[in-house]
Amino acid sequence: MQVFVQTLVGGLGFGAIYALVAMGFSIVYRTMGLVNFAHGDIVMVGAFIAATSYMSSRLPFALAVLISIALTAAIGLVIERVLRPLEHRDLDLMLIGTIGFGIVLEALATLVWGATGRAVPIPVGASPVDIAGIFVQPYDLLIIALAGVAAAGVWFLLARTKTGAAMQAVAADYEAATAVGINAGRSNAMAFAIGAGLAALAGSLAGPVLYVNESLGATMGISGFAAAILGGFGNIPGAIVGGLAFGLLSGFSAGYFHGDSDLVTFVAFAIVVMIRPTGIFGESTVNRA
Amino acid sequence: MITARKPGHCGTGAAVLALAVAAVSGCGAPGSAASSSGSGSGPIKIAVVDAQSGQSSSLGQWEYDGVKLAVKQANAAGGIGGRKIMLTLFDDQGDPTVTTDIAHKVASGGYVAVFGAAESADSIAMAPILQRAKIPAITSGQSPALAALHDPYEFLNTPTSVTYDKTLADYLVKTRGLRSIAMITNNGAYGMGEHDAFKADLASSGIKPLADEIVTPNATDFSADLTTIRQKNPRVLFIGAEEVESGLIAKQARALGIKAIFAGGAPMGTPLFTATAGASNVEGSIVSSAYLSNNLNAKTRAFATAYVAAYGQAPELHGAKAYDGAQIVIRALRNSHAATGLKLANAIRAVHYTGLLGTFAFDSDGVGLFRTHIGIIRNGQVVPAS
Repeated sequence: MQVFVQTLVGGLGFGAIYALVAMGFSIVYRTMGLVNFAHGDIVMVGAFIAATSYMSSRLPFALAVLISIALTAAIGLVIERVLRPLEHRDLDLMLIGTIGFGIVLEALATLVWGATGRAVPIPVGASPVDIAGIFVQPYDLLIIALAGVAAAGVWFLLARTKTGAAMQAVAADYEAATAVGINAGRSNAMAFAIGAGLAALAGSLAGPVLYVNESLGATMGISGFAAAILGGFGNIPGAIVGGLAFGLLSGFSAGYFHGDSDLVTFVAFAIVVMIRPTGIFGESTVNRA
Repeated sequence: MITARKPGHCGTGAAVLALAVAAVSGCGAPGSAASSSGSGSGPIKIAVVDAQSGQSSSLGQWEYDGVKLAVKQANAAGGIGGRKIMLTLFDDQGDPTVTTDIAHKVASGGYVAVFGAAESADSIAMAPILQRAKIPAITSGQSPALAALHDPYEFLNTPTSVTYDKTLADYLVKTRGLRSIAMITNNGAYGMGEHDAFKADLASSGIKPLADEIVTPNATDFSADLTTIRQKNPRVLFIGAEEVESGLIAKQARALGIKAIFAGGAPMGTPLFTATAGASNVEGSIVSSAYLSNNLNAKTRAFATAYVAAYGQAPELHGAKAYDGAQIVIRALRNSHAATGLKLANAIRAVHYTGLLGTFAFDSDGVGLFRTHIGIIRNGQVVPAS
């Protein structure tokens, strides 16, 4: 029982990080119909920027995270701007373009930060809290809380603001949206920037519980992508549920299947997707009919 | 929904071209040296095959730095009979399939020797191809599987896991009297070597581990395995995994209330392990290492000074063993007047060299060192156990 509950706690902690990554995938897919394959590497860059700001520049961790979000959002804007000409001509080429950008980001990160990587100490509440034999890290609770705040923020943006309405208008009917004066390019840029910002938040928070190096992008990218698919690609609540579900799946798989845990995790994932291909909440994306 | 689009024809053409280029560069006829750098004049070409990207990139970086330093010093002293040694770096990304590909390139590229890889799995992947091409390789891998190849062209610049773990087990059981031991190892080439060697050593002292948990090399959430271990309340937790994973295991172990002393081999002696785990979490950890610190003697101090001057950071075990390995190959080249193939391999085997890690005397399986030392982590540094 103790092992079960502790595994649950650990899985939720990692799951919240995957949820943030999944949200970034989903917001771009929802508004542009594009799977951004550079997303995992944007997470990695965000992690590096936060780690460097926190450790080399000795800024407070919260400030380091905000700097990371701002700079990484700017990278998102650059990617969107460079790939914009392809957006209404050939989406497949734009997708390949994001793969290329991912490779570029990884190479740039090695140039800037070297191949060795950074170990980031846990910034707050380093000692765990013992609740009836279950150990809870305050930092994990912070991650879960911030993921919740981010999800609420994204929901609020999409449901209650003009910008969010504009983004969804562009997704629903590009011609009509442009006709009423919405700048589709700027709207898509906003989506990319928000996606990149979410990636930076995920990467910054993941740094102290993992290890920041260039391979973080691949790990986070695959897990976040799987989480997004589980919850319904493009669906924001789905990203949260998918992220937590994937975190729990990985944690329990490791506990019961040990050396075969990777295999089991992805077989289980494949079975879920075969039964329900559009994920728990269903897919949400542009109407390109 | 997105309507399907036909791929643009330039997209298809580019894909075909890329495939063709990849196919051509991937297969060079093995054994046909472009221009063997062994004889005559011109630089002596040596390949460095290591991870410069991916999870193992630190190991690859350290190995390359160690090798570069030795070669730079040798070239400054006149090289091999006036000929300079030229290093070419290949990034195998820590992936044995990429290493195999690179080995083919090396086999047909006129290289007389290989430094690498830093990972046992990659070295094992390369070995048959290099053996066919008669190119000696000196690796930083320590898996007993390397010695089990019985490959006359394969040399290790470190003792094998068997030696590391025997020294460790003897210290824990016989010197410190600690018999309540749990194990957590990964199922990669290195981790399995550690698992089997350490478990066998414990068995020879009549000890069965309280827990024997296996994880994957890329695992990040160890809650389940560590909670199981915590319930058994061991005094020692043996960790058999690479630097970063060991560090994450140690960090999460402390976060889950495990108070056991950590014990392990070479990866736990690195600054990378201590930084990942957090120095306060690994205080008192017991490390079996062939290179405990840079302060051991005049030789290690001189090496550390040169390394810091070249790279701006202090060296550790991996840089040191790569340096030793390079020195051995350089001596073999000098002694054999820049021989190649089996002659060079035999010359390497004949080298008796006292380096940073000890005195090398290679056996027929390419293992040259048979001793490690015990260190304890104090204030984030490894110091020799008294």
